[in-house]
Amino acid sequence: MLRKTHITFKILLFLISIDLLETFVQFCFKKTALANSSFEVKTLEGITHFITGVAISPFLWLALASVLLIFIIWSTILSKIDLSVAVAVNSFSFITIPLVSVVFLHERISLLRWLGIFIILIGVVLVSLSSKPKEYQP
Amino acid sequence: MKSQLVLIIFWIFASDVCDTICQLLLKFCINSLGWHIDSIKKALQLTFELAKIPVAWLGLMFSIFSLFIWLFVLTRSDLNFAFSADSMRYILIAVASTAVLKEKIGFMRWAGIGTVVCGITLVALG
Repeated sequence: MLRKTHITFKILLFLISIDLLETFVQFCFKKTALANSSFEVKTLEGITHFITGVAISPFLWLALASVLLIFIIWSTILSKIDLSVAVAVNSFSFITIPLVSVVFLHERISLLRWLGIFIILIGVVLVSLSSKPKEYQP
Repeated sequence: MKSQLVLIIFWIFASDVCDTICQLLLKFCINSLGWHIDSIKKALQLTFELAKIPVAWLGLMFSIFSLFIWLFVLTRSDLNFAFSADSMRYILIAVASTAVLKEKIGFMRWAGIGTVVCGITLVALG
């Protein structure tokens, strides 16, 4: 039996949904971190305070719920294509996350950094093109 | 300032190592089940099947380590910088996929991964 392992439209949709969810997750993580950035994590007590503070953050739990959804979609993708391809194509979030950082977190991004982001996209396309059909043993 | 940057990159590396181990264990478990997933329902069933495998829980543990290290990194760094520096996982996962999972990585894929890493380096420098 021959299984298609190149990236189909359906797999691409899965990967895009993962990218968007990943962006949301990272935004929530940053919000969690900002709320707990005052803790000193050099002592055991500081680490405990940090973990406790993080654990009760609603943003963290919102992010983890999204991670669960990502996990289900990711499991589907990993059964269809190679791990190295899936991970590389997943890098579209390198564009969406800086955009969210600028708009919602008011971080600054230079021209050089945007150039880097564009080069990442070229790399992603190269990786996508490198995936070929292979024999599938059921 | 420079030592602070090196320290942040070190913790991002530590987070990536934990994440790579998690990804390898997850892929190993999925491969061992040998399922062909063609629907969300089957993906959910796969998730429940994975929950019965101790190795998958070990993967989850590494994922939790990675998460807490990552949250610590975000308390000390901008999100866009940290996420860009996080690209070192592309090298780690590509090497691990070849060495452990015996996945074949051709010239074009290596070129793609290399290009991604170059882009990320520019992002970090910017």
